[in-house]
Amino acid sequence: MYEEPYRWVEAVGNRRQYLDEQFAQGSPVVGVVCDQGILLMTMSKGTPKLYEIYDRLAFGGMGHPADLEKLRFTLLEMAHVEGFNRSAADVTGSRLVKYGIAPVVKQAFEEVFKAPSIVKIMLAELGQKAGKDNFLTINYDGVFEEKNQYAVLAATSSVEQRMIEYLRPQSCVSLKEAVDLVIRTWAVGDRAQRQAHELRESHEGAKESSDQLVTDSQTLLTHIRQRMEGKMIECALLDRHVSGTSKYRTLGSVELKALLPSDLSSALT
Amino acid sequence: MQGDFYQILKEQGYALGMPGQSGAGQPLTTATTILAFKYCDGVLVAGDRRATAGNMVMYDRTDKVLEIDRHCVMAIAGVPATAYEMARVLEHSFKYYRRTQLQELSFEGKLRALSKLLKENVPAALAGTGAVVPIFAGYDADQEAAKIYFYDILGAEFEGVEYAVSGSGSPTIRGILHYVNTWGEQPLSTMSQEQATIQALRLLTCAAEFDSATGGVNREAGLYPVVKLITAEGVTAMADPYLRSLFESNVSKGV
Repeated sequence: MYEEPYRWVEAVGNRRQYLDEQFAQGSPVVGVVCDQGILLMTMSKGTPKLYEIYDRLAFGGMGHPADLEKLRFTLLEMAHVEGFNRSAADVTGSRLVKYGIAPVVKQAFEEVFKAPSIVKIMLAELGQKAGKDNFLTINYDGVFEEKNQYAVLAATSSVEQRMIEYLRPQSCVSLKEAVDLVIRTWAVGDRAQRQAHELRESHEGAKESSDQLVTDSQTLLTHIRQRMEGKMIECALLDRHVSGTSKYRTLGSVELKALLPSDLSSALT
Repeated sequence: MQGDFYQILKEQGYALGMPGQSGAGQPLTTATTILAFKYCDGVLVAGDRRATAGNMVMYDRTDKVLEIDRHCVMAIAGVPATAYEMARVLEHSFKYYRRTQLQELSFEGKLRALSKLLKENVPAALAGTGAVVPIFAGYDADQEAAKIYFYDILGAEFEGVEYAVSGSGSPTIRGILHYVNTWGEQPLSTMSQEQATIQALRLLTCAAEFDSATGGVNREAGLYPVVKLITAEGVTAMADPYLRSLFESNVSKGV
């Protein structure tokens, strides 16, 4: 039934709709560059969504855990074989994405007889020199983008746009400022996603919510506090100052407590 | 999905230490002195810096005490090409395991990984083109203790309860280590970091005295042995200025 081109286009369109629904209640991912390195943040129910890929590469994902695991393993294998056969300096996020997983994700998306990969991926890469940090994001259809200072993943591109609008004018230098910023940006995204979802559920409109962007810190922190029930804040850092070749480390609960805004750290168990 | 990096390499056609008939009989870069012993905070591992081929000195700045991860080192004696390759395989294997399985490979698992590589290397070792006799030392997080293991060229692993030595200069210092540990002023395991470092410098100086394939201290060139300490906090390399000051105040007067 897909032999005619327009049917194939229609099938891909349906697939887009199906995938958008899968991400509707996912947890956004935020990454920002600060003095100490690159900070990644998301909220998870227990299965982590932030991982180490290579010495200077970190991975954040939204979507189905099994699909994320499959692509994470692909990245890990490619990175380590390349690092062994050539050198650690040749393992770059750009090569892994462009020649590695982006074609795989795109192919899975377009092969309409097979299941697509329910994934959105962010790769953060700590540069060898200051100012050379890099982010790559890959959408479920294989489209990838490169960014320098920050990157976000969220259910839809309009939610991502809102998060970027909130994030862009703000500066963060210290790790504490970066933690504060990623938490609030996450809240902007999660709040927008929930509003859009509720609107769809109540049949008031099939489109995204069109209300004003909430930027009031207190509202955002209250939202986070509500969402923290049964979930955990996950933060990972590609730390410039850590000795040795592997720069990735997760922020443990003690460190996170000290870095979070005070009214949130008390809610952290 | 087993987290086995070496298996992935092999599936891609990688082979460690192929025996080379044409290489047999050629002078290979070998010979060395490496040592490890327990001191009060953990384990000290040290090695001289000379690489020789027959009676030729190939290089005087070799680092034979290789950091495999934050808590483990492999000190190498034997053919450096194979030894460095083994160290690279191990380093990538441990990282790959940690990153895929989201937990550290156990200390026991790390020991077996080296043993496996040595077994795979037996044909090259017996052909005379790739023998490696390493010491592996690290901090065992489960047992909360720093440990030393030494191997033969076939891959058998033995625990050095108090110390281990390897390389052409090792017979000289093995007896000294036994003597110092048994009848010295204090056992090695109670020595402070400074006392342990002085012992290591003296032992390597002794080895260099009697083994031409072991490089001693070259003060003119500012060349000192490599000394690394393994404690619960991880691996620390001793800086040359520190070694120089200990050498000048505690070792050189007797040389």
